[in-house]
Amino acid sequence: MRITTSKRLVVALAAIFIGLAAFAPATLAADVTDIGFVDQAALASIPPFTSANRQLASYKATLDRQFAHEMKGVHDPNVQARIAQEFQNKLAERQRQVFGPLFQRAQVAIASVASSKNLSVIVDKRIMIYGGQDVTASVLDLLSGPGDPIPPVNTPPPSSVGYVDQSQIDAIPKLKAANDDFQKYQADQQAQAQTKLKAAKSDADRQAILKDYQSALADKQKQEIAPLVDQTRSAIADIAKKRGLLLVIDRSNLIYGGTDITNDVTSALK
Amino acid sequence: MAGVACLTLAACAHQTAPASSFATPLPGDDGHVGYVRMEELVKVHPLYAQLAHLDEDLQALQLKSVGPGIAQNGADIAAAERRLQHELDVAAERTKKALGDKQQEYMKREQAAIDAAIGATAGAGRGGAGIVAGVAANARTQAQTAAELAQKNFDAYRRQVADQSNAAARSLQRSLAERAARTYRAKAEYLAKSEADFALSQETDDAAERLSLRTKLSNLALDDDSRADVKKQLDALDQKEADAIAAMKNRDAQTLADLQKSVHDSTQAELNAEVAQLRKRTIAKIDARELETRRQLVAQLGVPALGGGASLPNGIAPDMRTRLQALHKQYQQQFNADASRTIAQFQKTRSDLTRRFQRIAGIDADAQAGANKEMNALQKQRGDLYNEMVAQIGREVKLVAQKRGINVVVSDVVAPAGGVDLTADAEKDIESLHE
Repeated sequence: MRITTSKRLVVALAAIFIGLAAFAPATLAADVTDIGFVDQAALASIPPFTSANRQLASYKATLDRQFAHEMKGVHDPNVQARIAQEFQNKLAERQRQVFGPLFQRAQVAIASVASSKNLSVIVDKRIMIYGGQDVTASVLDLLSGPGDPIPPVNTPPPSSVGYVDQSQIDAIPKLKAANDDFQKYQADQQAQAQTKLKAAKSDADRQAILKDYQSALADKQKQEIAPLVDQTRSAIADIAKKRGLLLVIDRSNLIYGGTDITNDVTSALK
Repeated sequence: MAGVACLTLAACAHQTAPASSFATPLPGDDGHVGYVRMEELVKVHPLYAQLAHLDEDLQALQLKSVGPGIAQNGADIAAAERRLQHELDVAAERTKKALGDKQQEYMKREQAAIDAAIGATAGAGRGGAGIVAGVAANARTQAQTAAELAQKNFDAYRRQVADQSNAAARSLQRSLAERAARTYRAKAEYLAKSEADFALSQETDDAAERLSLRTKLSNLALDDDSRADVKKQLDALDQKEADAIAAMKNRDAQTLADLQKSVHDSTQAELNAEVAQLRKRTIAKIDARELETRRQLVAQLGVPALGGGASLPNGIAPDMRTRLQALHKQYQQQFNADASRTIAQFQKTRSDLTRRFQRIAGIDADAQAGANKEMNALQKQRGDLYNEMVAQIGREVKLVAQKRGINVVVSDVVAPAGGVDLTADAEKDIESLHE
């Protein structure tokens, strides 16, 4: 009889635990120690990256000379913009060629280290104020070692850290329109301030012009950008809570893993 | 775009903590992830005033240096450029004349020195010097004639090579244009044939239906309504065919337009490349001939033909030739030094005018470089200060996190969700640094 009671208790407790596990968001169950970070500046200082940087700098210097040559005598702003765009594209293409394979290798090394240390997410060191596992040395070892790092078999486990790709959110028409409008306003204000600065006679005048300029931008930002920012923040927070995330960071600060909620956010904002 | 990204992120980070955030220590904090709004903490840091000051300086500098300045219209720019070009031409002409005058002057001096040396060595008094001077004058005349002839031959050769090059370029242009026209024509013919085939296939496909409709129409017993209905069907059939053919023609017209542009661009690029090569070869040929002409002239006259040297007569004793060559070298060096100064003056004028050219085009290189340098220095100063502040804030946040049993703290979060906001606690600690 006692045995039966005891068995029932065990079964009941097991049922409670299973129930709790089923209803609690899976990510909350994850230990926060599964967050790692990498010092990207340290990665960038290893020979392959410094060599690639030098290569790109040399190419840029050549492009700069060609650019100056092509811009000689060109006064049409549209033509100037077209030429500038062409050169930017050339530089971006070379950057992809030079850094693409290196980034890919680094990404595999980071994924491999994360997998071996059971980390669900790795972020940039700049945003890690306290705690987390520093995996920089392990990644450097893999990158400096002979041969290519071996990619992990498993995909990253679910993480309590979410992320959004802000550039995708900014591309939503209403946000893009607000941004374009703000940029135009800023350019107009800048041109006006520059004209006034040329005529300014004293430091006090210049200070006043600068203050007016800053104030005009702040007002415009408050009027046009702030409501959209509130809306975006609120949407991100709602979705994060629904998905059981502890916090959400920008994709630019994320290096590996994490839970992408960008699509949910863009859908909610449309 | 990046603007909104930054603004959005910054603003998210700046928001006051939501009501549900943990403002005071809670037992549930243990083991959780915490976060801080770094920009808010930076604002309460004792060094923030310095940082803000640097930001203002940077913004002021940016306003001063970036942007188009006072815009000039196209006509103003063109007029200013014409003025500057005129100044440059005048300066170049002045320099050329000054160099020519100097060359003449040094030649005269050298010739006088040579005459004096030959006269003194001959020891023939005025009569001997006169003979030598006569020989030298003859030699100069011969040299001048030879040089003129060589120049004439060279000019003729240059014209001939240039004409050949131009003819080759024209021929190449014709050939490329014909090839482009053939490509275009072939495509146009192919598309026209496709259109004709398509029209025929349409007609064939609809032939049975059309015949049936026409047969119905030929039935005299058909009532008016039915006749109208059949006519309508026949019209619809015609219209359907006409629409399909028109759509195909439109597509083909677009294809041809695209092809025309693409063929034009590629032909032009090919022509440019070929013509550039052709010109390069032509210039190389002319340069080679010029060099050869000079060599021949030097061999013929027995003296360097270039560089402002005076001419030496043939048949001079070796020791005298050596002496005279030393004299020539001396005058040559003097001339070169003098000419270098004149050229340096011209270079300075040209640099000045180039800067003015750039300024009217909105590219004030020196000013921009100066401002950029200053901005870079300020940016670095700002970056160092900011890093120092963030490091100190990090230490304070770490203490707060340890006190509250939090394992991990991050900054720059977009949305807090379930993390613990440590900003308020950290703010208190950082503010105490002021005391």
